[in-house]
Amino acid sequence: MENALAALGRFGLFAARVAVRCVSPPWNTRDFFVQAWTVTVRCVGPVVGVTFPFGMVIGLQGLAIFDLFGAQRLLPSLIAVAVLRELSPVLASVLVAAQAGSSYAAELGSMRIKEELDATEIMAVDSLRWHVVPRVLALILACPILNTLGDVAGLAGGYTMSVLIQGEPGGVFMANLWSFVSVADLGFGLVKTAIFGAIIGLVACYHGYFTTGGAAGVGRAVNDTVVRATLTFFAANYVLTSAMFG
Amino acid sequence: MDELEPPIRLVDVHKSFGSLTVLDGVSLDIPRGRTTAIIGPSGTGKSVMLKHIVGLIRPDRGEVRVFGTDMASAPESKVYEVRKRLGMLFQDGALFDSLSAGENIEFPLQRHHPELSASERRDRVEEALQMVELPGLYDRPTPALSGGQRKRVGLARAIITRPELVLFDEPNSGLDPITSDAIDALIGHLKETLGVTFLVITHDIVGTVNVADHIAMLYQGKLVAWGTRDEVTRSDHPIVRRFLGRNLILPDPGSAGSAVLPRIG
Amino acid sequence: MSALAWLGGLAWFAWDWFRANLRSRPPPGRTLEEAYRIGVQSLPVLLVISIFVGTNLALQGYKAFTPLGGQRLVGMFVAMAGVRELAPLIAAAMVAAKAGTEMASQIAVMRTREQIDALEVMAVNPYWFLVTPRLYGILLVMPALSLISVGVTVLASLLVSVFQLGLNAATFLEFARSSITMNDIFAGSVKAVIFAVIICFVSCYCGFVSEKGPEGVGRATNRAVVVSCITCVMFNTLVSQVLYG
Repeated sequence: MENALAALGRFGLFAARVAVRCVSPPWNTRDFFVQAWTVTVRCVGPVVGVTFPFGMVIGLQGLAIFDLFGAQRLLPSLIAVAVLRELSPVLASVLVAAQAGSSYAAELGSMRIKEELDATEIMAVDSLRWHVVPRVLALILACPILNTLGDVAGLAGGYTMSVLIQGEPGGVFMANLWSFVSVADLGFGLVKTAIFGAIIGLVACYHGYFTTGGAAGVGRAVNDTVVRATLTFFAANYVLTSAMFG
Repeated sequence: MDELEPPIRLVDVHKSFGSLTVLDGVSLDIPRGRTTAIIGPSGTGKSVMLKHIVGLIRPDRGEVRVFGTDMASAPESKVYEVRKRLGMLFQDGALFDSLSAGENIEFPLQRHHPELSASERRDRVEEALQMVELPGLYDRPTPALSGGQRKRVGLARAIITRPELVLFDEPNSGLDPITSDAIDALIGHLKETLGVTFLVITHDIVGTVNVADHIAMLYQGKLVAWGTRDEVTRSDHPIVRRFLGRNLILPDPGSAGSAVLPRIG
Repeated sequence: MSALAWLGGLAWFAWDWFRANLRSRPPPGRTLEEAYRIGVQSLPVLLVISIFVGTNLALQGYKAFTPLGGQRLVGMFVAMAGVRELAPLIAAAMVAAKAGTEMASQIAVMRTREQIDALEVMAVNPYWFLVTPRLYGILLVMPALSLISVGVTVLASLLVSVFQLGLNAATFLEFARSSITMNDIFAGSVKAVIFAVIICFVSCYCGFVSEKGPEGVGRATNRAVVVSCITCVMFNTLVSQVLYG
């Protein structure tokens, strides 16, 4: 328990030190763009690969529910609500945590093991500013972008299942798609994912930055990153969703 | 035919990784009951050759016969039968971190000698620990071993099944000179007591010359020198000379008492 | 192209395991050890995530059904979405993130430190020694973890619905119960078994083909969780289509 508290304290301190450097110059602009681009490219496949089939499943199960009431025309609205408000932000973030978060932890972890971080400091370069800040900022940018792509893929999955596979009329689907969702829902999704991006970036860089114990330590850092980042942003998700609806 | 052939016979072995040729037609017989050292600068295919011998890598062309079995074409079960007759010391020991030092040594016995009881196995392990001069270390967790201890435990594991052939992958790498000497001495001692075939892969010339009966030198995928220790160390092949010159101050052939080579450390 | 080659390698790996190991007994004692470890490792994370999935399922269901005047339907929505789809997948994702990454990194570390080569040289089949106990272990615990996730998700939704949203507990349970059949529980178990096989083979394969060194271990671990998750979601869609479509 004491250990957990101490670790939490260390993480808080780390997050604060990173946050200060996020908002004050100089910035490592080049690495920021490189990282943002790399993360987006590396995560597009996984995000789409998960949100598309998930959209299909919502279509399938939603149809089962609405069939009971003869209210099939509500199906597209349900799909849109589910995908835009919850599934795409959460799934995109899970995949970002698994793909980008774990690769951050692996990169920084092996830099730590190979003493590259020490070397950076010895050359009088702030390793947090140089290596960590661009990665965290990159995720804050990349997460909402990936969420938007996830939105599109999820809706496409829903369309594929209900119109192309189950044979619901396509015109009705498109007409009812937007009846319950608003621009605010989209905006909220973007804000939510930016926050999730910050959480994932901080948790991942923290575990990578403080890796010990050789190659096995890197594996451990990656493992801890995925699990803890996911736990943290799921909790944040509940708080944010409650606040928005409350 | 098992008895007629040397324990290891390489016939015109070729191996490339992509465009990189690592072994370029190596043919070599390793004599039975002797200690042979394969030397050469790093990146000349020594480790790749060793992995061919244990069947971890298959050649593009040629034959790798161990105890008369061609490791390149034999089915997996035959390969495993061959492997049960050999032991190998890996560069960093390759010990399992989840097991203690003694359990690591016991592992091959446990797998391949079900006829031994637990206490018989334990006795064998203690005996092996004695041999590598680590008595009483049975319960030491593997991560707590020093580099030299890891090598010794790895060595004990390599000889625990009383193999007919023991392979050493860089037995001196990563060790300080004193520990390195101790390992060489240990290999020399085991060579006399066990009387089996040893094959040592190394770039540490000083240690090699002290333990080896025969020396083969690999350079850029080819065998450039092969013979008894004296033949090779006195060879005037330019590459051999260059490699040895960097590593070893050869005794002047004319001076008296040159049998003892200068040692470092 | 390289992705296809990788998938081919994965299929070949699984086939190789089946060919050589299906009939040989796993190393004694290791299966239960692995089962225990996988269960104990994954359970705490799984509980926490299931709670938050449940809470948000209730919140979103409430938000979605209120304009239709169908607050009563929240129980049904939670039961169908949670029990049929989300809970089994969440269990898979968390086992992949926790136990799968551990399999990949352990095996990758063993590859880096030549321990796999050492197994081969000692004439021990590494697939049998490393994959078999993990596979049987994960098969033992996965259905249970999946059921636990189902229970916790529904319970968390119920609590949020009653205490945060002010819905009637009896109505919630009534609607939840009537929309779930034994069939759904069976389908969930089928999914759990399929996910367990996917996670084990994908994660172990990532470890076996990893490059040596810390970067290799990191990449193997990373790839294990991503590929496991995507493959599980895809198979989930397929299984749902077969069972419910």
